[in-house]
Amino acid sequence: MVSIPFLEKGIHHVSDIVQSGYAHWELSRRNGLFHRIDARVKVLFLAFFLVIVSLKQAIAPEAGIAVFVLLLFALSRLELGAAYKRILTLGFIFGVLIPLPSMFNVLSDGELLLPVMRLGRAYDLWIYHVPETIGVTREGVRGIAILFLRVTNCAALSLLVLYTTPVADILKALRMFRVPDTFVIIITLSYKYLFIFTRTVEEMYLAKRSRLLGEIRSREGRRWVAERMALLYRKSTMQCEEIFKAMVSRAFDGEVKLTGLGGMATRDRWMAAALVGAGVLFLRW
Amino acid sequence: MLIELERVHYDYFGRIPALSGVSLSIGEGERFAIIGANGSGKSTLLQILDGLLFPSAGRFSFRGQHVTEASLRDAGFLRFFRERMGYVFQDSDAQLFCPTVFDELLYGPLQLAISEDEAEDRANHVMRMMGIDGLRDRPTYMLSAGEKKRVAIGSVLTMNPDVLLLDEPTNGLDPKTEAFLVELVLSLNDAGKTIVIASHDLSLVGDLDMRVALLSEAHRVEKVGTSSEILEDTDLLLRANLIHEHRHYHGPKSHRHSHSHVFKHRHETEAE
Repeated sequence: MVSIPFLEKGIHHVSDIVQSGYAHWELSRRNGLFHRIDARVKVLFLAFFLVIVSLKQAIAPEAGIAVFVLLLFALSRLELGAAYKRILTLGFIFGVLIPLPSMFNVLSDGELLLPVMRLGRAYDLWIYHVPETIGVTREGVRGIAILFLRVTNCAALSLLVLYTTPVADILKALRMFRVPDTFVIIITLSYKYLFIFTRTVEEMYLAKRSRLLGEIRSREGRRWVAERMALLYRKSTMQCEEIFKAMVSRAFDGEVKLTGLGGMATRDRWMAAALVGAGVLFLRW
Repeated sequence: MLIELERVHYDYFGRIPALSGVSLSIGEGERFAIIGANGSGKSTLLQILDGLLFPSAGRFSFRGQHVTEASLRDAGFLRFFRERMGYVFQDSDAQLFCPTVFDELLYGPLQLAISEDEAEDRANHVMRMMGIDGLRDRPTYMLSAGEKKRVAIGSVLTMNPDVLLLDEPTNGLDPKTEAFLVELVLSLNDAGKTIVIASHDLSLVGDLDMRVALLSEAHRVEKVGTSSEILEDTDLLLRANLIHEHRHYHGPKSHRHSHSHVFKHRHETEAE
């Protein structure tokens, strides 16, 4: 079989974007607890809880929020396994792996919890003091635990809203924060063209592959990618002109007017009150 | 006359000719087709009729009023013109830029400052008419080509224009959607709408029994006539590069000659 590894990999990622877009659409149409709530309440909930997560300095309230979000995931009938695999991976990379050195007493002082290495004597290097015994500190572990919980909580809150709300509704809900309709259209178009152009890229690659008889050299492959990028740029420019004409044709006069999400049901107001109440409890914890 | 073009020229970048001295008249409630080979200037002509491009020379009038870049700067005339002229683009992806199908249908009426309630009534009516009720909250990138075309046409119909300009409307559509489109165009025409189609689909022009203007590859109007006058003129269609010679089958026998696929053609020799 003929293969162009780096291209192949890239194209698979491109396909994933389209597939995840469709999966997201299906997921956001289910009938769980969070699916039934007005998008404005969910966007407000997300903003409020992200602030709370950033403000909390102790492990217990952060862990409490993590359990609360997990409960919301379960009540919304979302697939916990798949969602938490993503969340924990993000948490591990940004909450553990990257800040890992801060756990040791080389970067910051603290009560030694787990000795790792003995050097015989202490050293002073530039601004760092390297102690005689290098090891994990209690403060370091606490810091990493808080950071890990913050990252996972932020990721979980974002995914909870994303998985239960169509992108179109999220964008419309942004109007609550006085985001102009023109900006909503720009984001919508960018999101839409991500799908159109990923499909184009995939088709261009398949057309190339169907005409290959042997292995393609890496240099040739890179050249092909560069040429396709230029072509896609040109296509995008032409599409942009066409869209502008289509907007003008339908009476665009420099200002876009979109409809909102309509009135909020009593049930949404109660849900908003309950979520704000939960937020206040976590804030006071 | 509803639409009048007098000796219209259009050049891209002042160098590449797209239209050369095109003169046409289209009456109220007519079914009018502009046919021609690829690159003959059909889409350019349609965009001039929609006030998206302006002639390099010559004049375009709508209901007796000249349509120019300057006249469309007048808010009153712009609204008058946009309310009455609807353009369905060849590429539905260019036409659909709103978050959902329902937003797409509401866009035109809201831009025309029609109240939200009336715009929603229009959108609901058009959704039923186009058979797209089930797509209301769908993002447009998740639709099939046929569904996109229906939404694109619907997005123009909610503006309730007098004139409907359709650029290559059957391109890439399955036979069922194509048949739906023919029925729709006929019923819209029965309701008093003027239909102008740019296409190289000769069977569509035949099905709709339109008055036809044929654009040559020299970007001129070669002939204007009824669909039967134009489509039966094999020499004219050959000259305009709209038909070709090819081999085809009649039962078990095949033979080779030029024809347009539209009308039943005579055979001098029944089989070769």
